[in-house]
Amino acid sequence: MLRLRQRGVLPGFRLTLGCALLYLSLIVLIPLAAAFVKASELSPWQFWHDLTTPRALAAFRLSFGAAFLAALANLFFGLLVAWVLARYQFWGKRVMDALVDLPFALPTLVAGITLATLFAQNGWIGRWLAPLGIKVVYTQLGVFVALLFIGLPFVVRTVQPVLEDLDLELEEAAASLGANRRQTFRRVILPSVRPALLTGFALAFARGVGEYGSVIFISSNLPGKTEIVPLLIVTKLEQFDYAGATAIAVVMLLASFALLLLINLFQWRSSRYHARI
Amino acid sequence: MSVEVRNITKKFGAYPALYDVSLKVGTGELVALLGPSGSGKTTLLRVIAGLEFPDTAEGRVLFHGEDVTDMPAHKRRAGFAFQHYALFRHLDVFENVAFGLRVRSRRTRPREAEIREHVERLLKLVQLESFAKRFPSQLSGGQRQRVSLARALAIEPQVLLLDEPFGALDAKVRKELRQWLRKLHEEIHVTTLFVTHDQEEALEVADRVAILREGRIEQIGTPDEIYDHPATPFVYDFLGNVNLFAGRAREGAVIIGEIKIPAPGMTGGPETPAAAFVRPHDIHVTRERSGTATLAARVRHSHAAGALAHLELERLDNGEPFTVQLSKEQFRQLRPRLGERVYVELRNVRVFPEGS
Repeated sequence: MLRLRQRGVLPGFRLTLGCALLYLSLIVLIPLAAAFVKASELSPWQFWHDLTTPRALAAFRLSFGAAFLAALANLFFGLLVAWVLARYQFWGKRVMDALVDLPFALPTLVAGITLATLFAQNGWIGRWLAPLGIKVVYTQLGVFVALLFIGLPFVVRTVQPVLEDLDLELEEAAASLGANRRQTFRRVILPSVRPALLTGFALAFARGVGEYGSVIFISSNLPGKTEIVPLLIVTKLEQFDYAGATAIAVVMLLASFALLLLINLFQWRSSRYHARI
Repeated sequence: MSVEVRNITKKFGAYPALYDVSLKVGTGELVALLGPSGSGKTTLLRVIAGLEFPDTAEGRVLFHGEDVTDMPAHKRRAGFAFQHYALFRHLDVFENVAFGLRVRSRRTRPREAEIREHVERLLKLVQLESFAKRFPSQLSGGQRQRVSLARALAIEPQVLLLDEPFGALDAKVRKELRQWLRKLHEEIHVTTLFVTHDQEEALEVADRVAILREGRIEQIGTPDEIYDHPATPFVYDFLGNVNLFAGRAREGAVIIGEIKIPAPGMTGGPETPAAAFVRPHDIHVTRERSGTATLAARVRHSHAAGALAHLELERLDNGEPFTVQLSKEQFRQLRPRLGERVYVELRNVRVFPEGS
């Protein structure tokens, strides 16, 4: 017999599970299901055709590629920022800590305009990059930069608490066993923060794939070149092609969901052994 | 491999953890650092391991005569076992023990087969052969501590440092591991320092015991010396199992109630308050007053469970309580009743001036 729960001392299992399911259904599941229903208005052939137009393929490539690369970069720099915040005491640390949350708080539109201004040919940063032949605004690189900005807090905020909780004795034990700092980091610290890093990466990636506001201002939005998937959806909506828009949305959804699921599985595998102390 | 520390001073903020401590531990010796919490014993251990550094230039740490004061912890080859084990949770027992071998430089790293053999031998030594594939979270406290010992031994340490190794374990496991540690030390004979606040543990296991108090070494000696000839009232008190009688010292003697006991250490001059220490088994109890050197007392409680019997008495003159230990045989002959008046004779009295 399938048992949904074990007898325990914590009360309210049915009630809380019921509320959680209802909430999730209303907010997440029903809207998503609606997307699937709408997309199913298309014939399979039509569905496939809509997805494999060169324009759609290019948009998919750019959205997923830029989001992946930006999340990857944030994996390293996010870890670095989290490390500095968790390990050292310095003047202005609180300000730095607050700055990390800024991409969360700022309307993405504002972020996009700001980034576009900064990286423009005559902008504060763009003017130094231009002589090097690096063009950011209105290019695919611009999309990457916007996603860097958007994704950073996800990695920092998932990794930082784990680093703060890390037992210093573990590092002392490693040192007393003959490990130098590099080995201690690679063999002791990194395995401990790996699950958090993965989560941060997944969140940053998922957010990057869906990001709209900040990207459309720094990108030229040229179909087949610098057009991202969310923009393609908006374009289709403006042309009253609702089914075509949802078809693309459904694919994005499935891809993101598959990725999150994969990372969760990975996490589950690597954390099977610890916890429970 | 001998270990020596010289003139170590270490402060944490304004609070001095160690004050000018010097100590020498001979090759193959097992020395206990005993003291109450905050006495600096763990700090001393950490200074030897290279996890803390002395504050002043006079403070030196020497391994076999070689100065290692400025050597970082990972080069000292000092095996350290932590009170809370500090095992690597993401590694199984085998890999925890192998850690110290795997991080060696390519030149000195043993081959995989040698690592396997070495680790298996150590797991056998700590009686955990069948646990190699388990993770730390799947072990009991005693098993975890043995893994941490095997891990420290794997690097063939010059010195083994144990910080309250049995502090977090329950009484029965503690006792077993204590005897096991003694046996282990006889087998491998590595120079060992271990920190404890349990005087019984220190006296039972160690070759020598150093008693620390507020960052200074109060006394150092073999367990017998420490127990039989405590140098200060603090050591007497800390080792426990002792009665304190308040008295007055005058002209080479101390007066406790009606009795006068010779105390050669006390000089003449004005009368000063003094404390007399007597162990419970050095008190002789009789029902009738015999001779003059006895104190009158009342029986408050008696219990005879165990190998020895214990009497709790209180002095008739000032109500001060004290404990007497006697054999079952003596207890049967005396058959004390509650509230009854008895007379006690004090033997092996040790007198210290008040406030010393």
